Amino acid sequence: MIKNILDRILLRPQVITLENGHEVTRPRSKAPYLLLLLVIGVYISVRTTGFDIAMFVRRFNQLPVILGRIFQPNFGFFSTVWPRLVETIKMSIVGTVLGCILALPLSIVSSSNIMRHRVVLWIVRVLISITRSLPAVVYAYLFSFVFGMTTFAGSLAIAVFTVGIVAKMMYENIETIDLGAFEAMRSFGGTTLQSFWTACMPQILPQYLDNCLYSFELNIRQSAILGYCGVGGLGVLIRARISVRAYEDAGMIFLLIFVVVFAIDLINDRIRSKIIRGH
Amino acid sequence: MAEIHAQENILEKLYSEPKNLWKRLLILAVLLVIVGWGAYGFEIGLDENGVNMAKSIFNGLTHPETELFNLGPKGIPYLILETIAIAFLSTVIGTILAIPVSFLSSTNIVPRPVALIFRAIVLFIRTIPSLVWALIWVRVTSTGPFCGVVTQSVCSIGMISKMNVTAIENLDTGVLEALDACGANTFEKIRVGVLPQLSASFVSTAIYRFDINLKDATLLGIVGAGGIGSPLNDAIGNMRWNRVGAFLIVLIVMVVIIEFVSTRIRARLAQGRR
Amino acid sequence: MNRPPLLPKNGALDMIEFKDVSKTYPNGTKGLKHVNLKIEQGEFLAIIGLSGAGKSTLVHTINRMIDITEGTLTVDGVDVMSLKGRELRRFRRKIGMIFQHFNLVTRSTAIKNVLSANVPDMPWYKTLFGYYSKEQKVRALEALDKVHILDKAYSRCDELSGGQKQRVALARTLDQNPSIILADEPVASLDPIIADVVMSDFARINKEMNITIFINIHHVDLALKYATRVIGIRAGEIVYDGPTKDVTQEVLNLVYMGKEVPVAGEKIEIEGMVIEQ
Repeated sequence: MIKNILDRILLRPQVITLENGHEVTRPRSKAPYLLLLLVIGVYISVRTTGFDIAMFVRRFNQLPVILGRIFQPNFGFFSTVWPRLVETIKMSIVGTVLGCILALPLSIVSSSNIMRHRVVLWIVRVLISITRSLPAVVYAYLFSFVFGMTTFAGSLAIAVFTVGIVAKMMYENIETIDLGAFEAMRSFGGTTLQSFWTACMPQILPQYLDNCLYSFELNIRQSAILGYCGVGGLGVLIRARISVRAYEDAGMIFLLIFVVVFAIDLINDRIRSKIIRGH
Repeated sequence: MAEIHAQENILEKLYSEPKNLWKRLLILAVLLVIVGWGAYGFEIGLDENGVNMAKSIFNGLTHPETELFNLGPKGIPYLILETIAIAFLSTVIGTILAIPVSFLSSTNIVPRPVALIFRAIVLFIRTIPSLVWALIWVRVTSTGPFCGVVTQSVCSIGMISKMNVTAIENLDTGVLEALDACGANTFEKIRVGVLPQLSASFVSTAIYRFDINLKDATLLGIVGAGGIGSPLNDAIGNMRWNRVGAFLIVLIVMVVIIEFVSTRIRARLAQGRR
Repeated sequence: MNRPPLLPKNGALDMIEFKDVSKTYPNGTKGLKHVNLKIEQGEFLAIIGLSGAGKSTLVHTINRMIDITEGTLTVDGVDVMSLKGRELRRFRRKIGMIFQHFNLVTRSTAIKNVLSANVPDMPWYKTLFGYYSKEQKVRALEALDKVHILDKAYSRCDELSGGQKQRVALARTLDQNPSIILADEPVASLDPIIADVVMSDFARINKEMNITIFINIHHVDLALKYATRVIGIRAGEIVYDGPTKDVTQEVLNLVYMGKEVPVAGEKIEIEGMVIEQ
């Protein structure tokens, strides 16, 4: 009702009369109003965040100094970084595997074409989006109180976060699959679960593996900073070195993260191309 | 083993079944070894203390502190406003700055070497985690929401450029040829021939990035970059679980709502409606 | 456990009985109107009619893929609408179903698809790993052999042609050892020659194994060539029910409201063909 009135006032189509008397109605564009909203939004944001371009310009020279030091990594620091790096990788492997395994049943229950029970569907979906809405660092921080400052707390945090993203990608995938074989199995007496597993799983398996690999890449990056709250891995080092402004050491850490992420990227690409070839 | 009675041709077919059992077992074994290595040496440090802590955390999360919902500068409504402001402003800045960067890293617009240089810059931005960027920028901006804005703007440039480059390289170049034929210059070509093709996908990427920035704002708060993350971090550190509960619930509701809305808007953009 | 009585393999029982059955869809559309039908074991029934007349609804009510809203439907003495959960699934084990789009797991091999017919009776851990016994594999291969497609047993279904896919689906159904096979437009996605071959497969299975075939078919020529009994349906009502040899041009006019009669092959003189039979 209100929207209608607003449409009438603000978006009244413009009538253009051509020289020969023909009339054309031109729908009014919403763009000016959206632009106005954008400007208001920017103004409020600038006021709230204390945006200070003068300070930024004045102290910008700090940045090249820091970056310059990061780009001269201290290779002697390698022996200190290595065990932490291994810890980070272990943490993300366990977290990813746990998360991916848990995500599969959740994604089945939250696919609208398989799950007929609307209430359960929406409860599970909300749960999934809750696990996704907080960064893994916050979970790690909370778990560190329960499980101590262990890598297990970190893995658990990664697992929770992974469940959220993988389950969401999976139910979006499942909702687009062809349900013919599923229907056929239902027709000769399969339960929903049996039919899904036998008829739909071969269809979504490549996508599932792909999503698992993707989340693994993401988790390697994430777990590098998880340790910032003390649950083990590289984050502990990053925090310690940067707080004493040892940027050369930090540079070494970043270099190693980059190398590992790059290597895992390569391995994943090879696995992916195998999956696509229909192994 | 039970004897199997069947016709010759059936049995022949049965034994000609391609054997991939070994291959499967091998893959399974490799997976198990990797996971076993990952879990080796794990200690689940769960003792009585931990259980009690879990109980008090759960208790705090289910009984959030209500007096935080005041309108003062420490109240939740203001913190939410600040968080959204950081995410919004950095998305706007990031999107604007990403436009030249993404054109300069598209091989169908500029010469290859130029594109590669800009791609390397984008890759560098993406390699350093946002938390670390915040730690670096803090030296320039000092702590506070401004640090969050600068950090997230930079991180946004990296991700938005990457998405935009894909869109630009899929451009339909027929229009550009037509404009060339009318004698349009480069700027006119971009304004008339390119932007209308790209605007929907650019806007979609920006909205998607706003989503991410909102989630990351919590993360950056932990290193003192403003928003709701800083007081949340303090509350966790001081084990004031009721306070933590209040922050988390508000945060989750905000992120879930914004995600729902942004998914809707992006779906409409993808369908080509305005 | 009150297992429904096993079906007699040879007997002239009233297998399927519709008593005043109607189906109204939630949006108010009438799918079926006061349908009365009796089908005996071993019949080969073809349902003909325009699209949207209720052919598909009629087929799907028998194994309760679609619920009826009025009347009673008994299959082998069991009131179909009274079945729930496990009973319904056990009931469905005896009824095979064939679909227009084959509904196979395209990324799996032909034999895997046939073997999937065993899944409802298997313990969950075997289903989880897709483990099938030698006996089950032999039975699956025999089913494939019956529809002459044994050589494609280990080919992936997305490499097969339409006719081959429908035969794999047929083998999957045979592996279930059903007493009734329901087929919803089984040849609609096939070219006329393959369609004829698949229909002859149905006829052979009907004769050799005494399985009731309940087929819903668009092409009248194929229906008249293979079925023993024809049911004409128009706007949810049965307007013809009788042996194939009594189908005349008037009957077809009644069923198709005087519109053109769809055929799979070249245009055939319907009257002439009926007389030939």
